[in-house]
Amino acid sequence: MSITLQNLTKTYNDHLVVNHVSLDVPDGEFFVLLGSSGSGKTTVLKMIAGLTSLDEGRILLHGRDVTALPVQERQVGFVFQHYALFQHMTVADNIEFGLRIRKVAAAQRRRRREELLELVGLTGLGGRMPSQISGGQQQRVALARALAHQPEVLLLDEPLGALDAKIRLELRRTLRSIQRELGITTILVTHDQEEAFELADRVGVMSFGRLLEVGPPQQLYRCPQTEFVATFLGTANLLVGQQTAEGVRIGQVDFPLAERPVAINGNQRVQVLFRPEDVALSDSVDSLACPPLGQGEVAETIFAGSFERLRLRLPPMPGVRPISPPVKYGGDAMIIEAMRSREQAVDLPLKPGDRPWLGIRRVHQLEHPGLNFLLVSDGSPQANGAVTLGGQIARLAHARVTLLGHGSSLSAMEAYLQSTKEALGSGLTALETKTASGSLVPAIAREINGQSYDLIVLGLDPNAHMTTVEQILQMGDHHLLLAPRPSAAPARALICVADGEPAKEDVLFAGRLVRHVGAEATLLSVMGEGEAESTKNQVERFLAAGVRTLELLGVPARAAVRRGAVRETIANELISGNYDMLVMGAPLPQRDGKISLNGVISQILGIIHRPILIVRTEPGSAVR
Amino acid sequence: MTARPFLPAGLIKRIAWGRHSLRASVLAYLAVLLIIPLLVILRDGLQEGLTGFWQTISQPVAWHALTLTLWTSAVMVIINTVMGTLTAYVLVRYEFAGKALLNAIVDLPLAIPTLVTGVMLVILYGPQQALGGWLDHTLGWRIIFAPPGIILALLFITFPLVVRAVQPVLLNLDREQEYAAATLGAGPWTIFRRVTLPALALPMSSGALLSFARAIGEFGAIIIVAGNIPLYTQTAAVFVFGEVESENRAGASAMSIIMVAIALGLILGVEWLQQRQERKSVA
Repeated sequence: MSITLQNLTKTYNDHLVVNHVSLDVPDGEFFVLLGSSGSGKTTVLKMIAGLTSLDEGRILLHGRDVTALPVQERQVGFVFQHYALFQHMTVADNIEFGLRIRKVAAAQRRRRREELLELVGLTGLGGRMPSQISGGQQQRVALARALAHQPEVLLLDEPLGALDAKIRLELRRTLRSIQRELGITTILVTHDQEEAFELADRVGVMSFGRLLEVGPPQQLYRCPQTEFVATFLGTANLLVGQQTAEGVRIGQVDFPLAERPVAINGNQRVQVLFRPEDVALSDSVDSLACPPLGQGEVAETIFAGSFERLRLRLPPMPGVRPISPPVKYGGDAMIIEAMRSREQAVDLPLKPGDRPWLGIRRVHQLEHPGLNFLLVSDGSPQANGAVTLGGQIARLAHARVTLLGHGSSLSAMEAYLQSTKEALGSGLTALETKTASGSLVPAIAREINGQSYDLIVLGLDPNAHMTTVEQILQMGDHHLLLAPRPSAAPARALICVADGEPAKEDVLFAGRLVRHVGAEATLLSVMGEGEAESTKNQVERFLAAGVRTLELLGVPARAAVRRGAVRETIANELISGNYDMLVMGAPLPQRDGKISLNGVISQILGIIHRPILIVRTEPGSAVR
Repeated sequence: MTARPFLPAGLIKRIAWGRHSLRASVLAYLAVLLIIPLLVILRDGLQEGLTGFWQTISQPVAWHALTLTLWTSAVMVIINTVMGTLTAYVLVRYEFAGKALLNAIVDLPLAIPTLVTGVMLVILYGPQQALGGWLDHTLGWRIIFAPPGIILALLFITFPLVVRAVQPVLLNLDREQEYAAATLGAGPWTIFRRVTLPALALPMSSGALLSFARAIGEFGAIIIVAGNIPLYTQTAAVFVFGEVESENRAGASAMSIIMVAIALGLILGVEWLQQRQERKSVA
């Protein structure tokens, strides 16, 4: 590997700008880091060059650990967005700078300079000053300068960002051919998707400090795994449908899947993606060569040269929730983006108001169904701490958030929600605020009747409100995060696979959440002193399987088996291992549907003041 | 007199005319204040022709005063340019306790009367004082009533000029050039010498020229610190003062012409450098 990044992490003012980024770039690869501004991509690049320090992690260049080395000794070539040429030196002196530093003889320097000027297509311009050549030429000089000392890797920070569209295209091609010719391992940072697709062997998409997905451009475009990547790369029609045995169901119609997704429980809500070019349009349902989605109405047609873009309105369908294009406030229809070739547009001319049939040629199911969080607050400092924690986790997990304020004074609550919304606002996928009068339990009950949530976050001291916690768990199949006091997003989670509790599901949901916040996990099982050695082997095998699953999800994990009294053992482990989140399975409901936390959970809740995630298992799937 | 609360009628119409009269009155003011006195000096100094002018200047006392002024100012400019640039660098690039205070103190020499500056230096370095006495007896360095005193006084007075010329340019300097040099393998000193310093060349020279111009005419601090010893510590400005006192108008005017010419040349130089810097930052 030319470039290996292990767990790079960086915090600025309590804000995680780079969050456990790991990456391997093989020899000669052109890798593009793609992300919007503020996603941390430039910070990663500067870390590799040594221009920015890191809080955690390791950087290896050609197997050499350079984490502690100063910039000067890293042997990298770096190209800046705004060229950063030495203004008082000629083009030739700029290019020779790195060679002079290395005390290369004048004749050799001159030879290398001429070679590079030819490579970047600037032969004869060596005597000019930077101010006498155009922006595109300056960036070519910067590239030649960065290559002169034959660096091991080439790092490019939005090198085309400051240039005109036409020059950008031209320089893009030059960049690609030079990289091919030299075979130098390259990382380029950009926010331009087209640029990334054209240049990259592989693309990595970054958002809020995390490297979400890595893969060849085609794969990321056609088969993204996350909502962010699906909507960030190109235009996406993304909606929530139902998973079936054969594929996915959108409304009443079943669509086969091009590829089998990671198994998710049957009948679950899943995110379904189809691109505008996957939409087929026809004047009758029979002439569609693919499964029909329904009859829509053309809202808008846009001529785009060699093709035509259309926006179509489709009546709402039961069980289908559109995500992208986003539904406008007050909108009563789903919007579908479509694209046709000019021939297709000639065969079936469409204008706004026409009602063609829509079919989908190819659908793709996202691995990640998209989380939905409910943060509940009465405005108290304790609840506020939980809201902050929930917001942080939601941001990292790309979850949509509903902030529910409850209390006796609705006007005070409105003001509180407004300020909290502003505080939480940046970086959340979606944030909605609601108010409810009265106390906690009925407020939550009303809210979850209307919408289902994956996680409810509460700022409660579970010890003092055991019955409330039980009541909230009883209401639905959501998971519950209790934050007894304000705390930061967890970095180390202890997942208890305690004796007699459901386990596999705990590991899966907790694993997903833990992966999103970039934490590491330990799977802990506690056995009684007297239990047989054969039981222990069985438990160890079970934990090892869990660790494999977690690592598949991208969570650094390990297993631990302890013997002793459950409550004390868990508490000791939590403190000695410095864990900042405890994950436990919720007990199964009793015959009458009630959930009782009596027993181990209540004992542990009573002595621990760290965030506790109580995960739910669907009845019947409990596995010991 | 009673105040008139309203503008007289018709004034609005006269605004266009007012613009011309404003320009004219400013020009007249400049003429009375600057141009005419300069012309008078010129006429006075050249009254006896160029030979007379040259004879006045080439007398040993006058010549010595002139060369003393030039070399002490030159030494001051070298020290001030180096130290002023370093001060600006420290003020811009480093964070430390008391930085805001130091930044404010830099301008103090502009506000302190130069006579007071002279008094302070005499109290500190005078032969009867602890520091001055020690320097005199141990190292044999005489500061007060000697050329080093002149240089010290000039350094004090002109300190802000280089700092304030370099500081804003350094603040706006694109750090990426320095980062680029680092990725190419240059160490901190090489980066400063090869990348940062060249970018500061223009403001450093304009600050240096300004200090020199300011130093040529300094009187108050020098008369206190160095006294008025002909052929030893008498500078050009002090010489002019002596000539005026002894009612030798020709001598005073001749030396004044030289000083005005030097100052004018330097100011034009500063102006040119500043324009180049502006063009550079626009580009």
